[in-house]
Amino acid sequence: MSTAARLAFIGLLASAGIQAAIAAEKPASHPNLSGFWMLASGKPIEDPALKAKISPGTVILNDTGAVEFPRGEYGGLKLTPAAETAAKNWDSKDDMTVANACRIPSIIYAMQGPFPIEVFQGTEMTVIRLEYFDMARVIFTDGRKHQTGDGPMTKVGDSIGHWEGDTLVVDTIHVKEATITNNGLSHSDKIHVTERFKLSADGKKLLATQEFEDPEMLLNKGVRFITWNRVEGDHVHAYDCDPSFAENYAR
Amino acid sequence: MRTISGVVAAGLLSLGVLASSVAAAHHSFAVFFDNEAGIVSVRGVVTQFNFTNPHGLIRMQVKEKSGETVEWKAETNSPSILERRGWKKDSLKAGDEIIMEGWRARDGARYMRMRKVTKADGTPVGIPFESMEVR
Repeated sequence: MSTAARLAFIGLLASAGIQAAIAAEKPASHPNLSGFWMLASGKPIEDPALKAKISPGTVILNDTGAVEFPRGEYGGLKLTPAAETAAKNWDSKDDMTVANACRIPSIIYAMQGPFPIEVFQGTEMTVIRLEYFDMARVIFTDGRKHQTGDGPMTKVGDSIGHWEGDTLVVDTIHVKEATITNNGLSHSDKIHVTERFKLSADGKKLLATQEFEDPEMLLNKGVRFITWNRVEGDHVHAYDCDPSFAENYAR
Repeated sequence: MRTISGVVAAGLLSLGVLASSVAAAHHSFAVFFDNEAGIVSVRGVVTQFNFTNPHGLIRMQVKEKSGETVEWKAETNSPSILERRGWKKDSLKAGDEIIMEGWRARDGARYMRMRKVTKADGTPVGIPFESMEVR
């Protein structure tokens, strides 16, 4: 898809989300997560209620935001032989090519990156715009089920959500293969992601966990805590990635 | 303290500072850049400034102690992030004399990830990362 087409598509999604947010009257029982959120620097908040929902045996990855693991370090994730082989054969220089410089990550890497997001919450859907690579997610909260097994794989996947008290729980499948830790470890399209989003008590922070499992690439589950700060008056900017940047590394 | 030809200053950097000041991108910072070696700093004249995502790029001519002039390149954080720190597409122009600080590429190339840019008169370009808590 061309950049222009992608931006147009994102615009439609965002517009749908905005309209949903405006048209829908939110039940008083659901916190409103709408707003512009900038990833908080430093160690994310490990909210006790969110922590209590993490599946037993899941390893907490400490690479949220600007932190990245060096080659060969995966934060406690245990790799399958297939993942080990792929990571061993990964050549970091391949990422600095015109072909790959603007390769879009999946939500696994993008959601925890040091870029802002904008949330438009409605009753039947919530839209999350990511500044990183102009990504847009639609999380259906109208009670529908996941798409069938032969549905398309995308970098944002197929997301459905429901509320558990003050927490929006998002379940995502059909995520196209992409990096997990940006150092050679990738997930397959069998990855299953469970995210939980809630506001801090003062409403100034958006707290989340991103838990995932991938039977093809991982022998255990992983989770990241993510914290964003509310920023008034700002909006997600266009990213419009320019792959010619990669040419500068070599010459 | 580290000495590199053409380098006018260097300092050590803790992991904590690194973690709060480097924006992850499509290519891995930890794999590409040598944060263990600390900050390198070069003084030179800008020849080109591109300000597009995923990274801006600054080319500069640097005169080495030997008298030889060499080219250094520095990639910046994402311009969409830098814009919120006061950077603009015309923040630098060809002919500007600047001091560039950053983390050098692990492969030894004259290529770094920018941390801070200061103009020759001491004026910082944009807001340095370490001074901004939220964004």
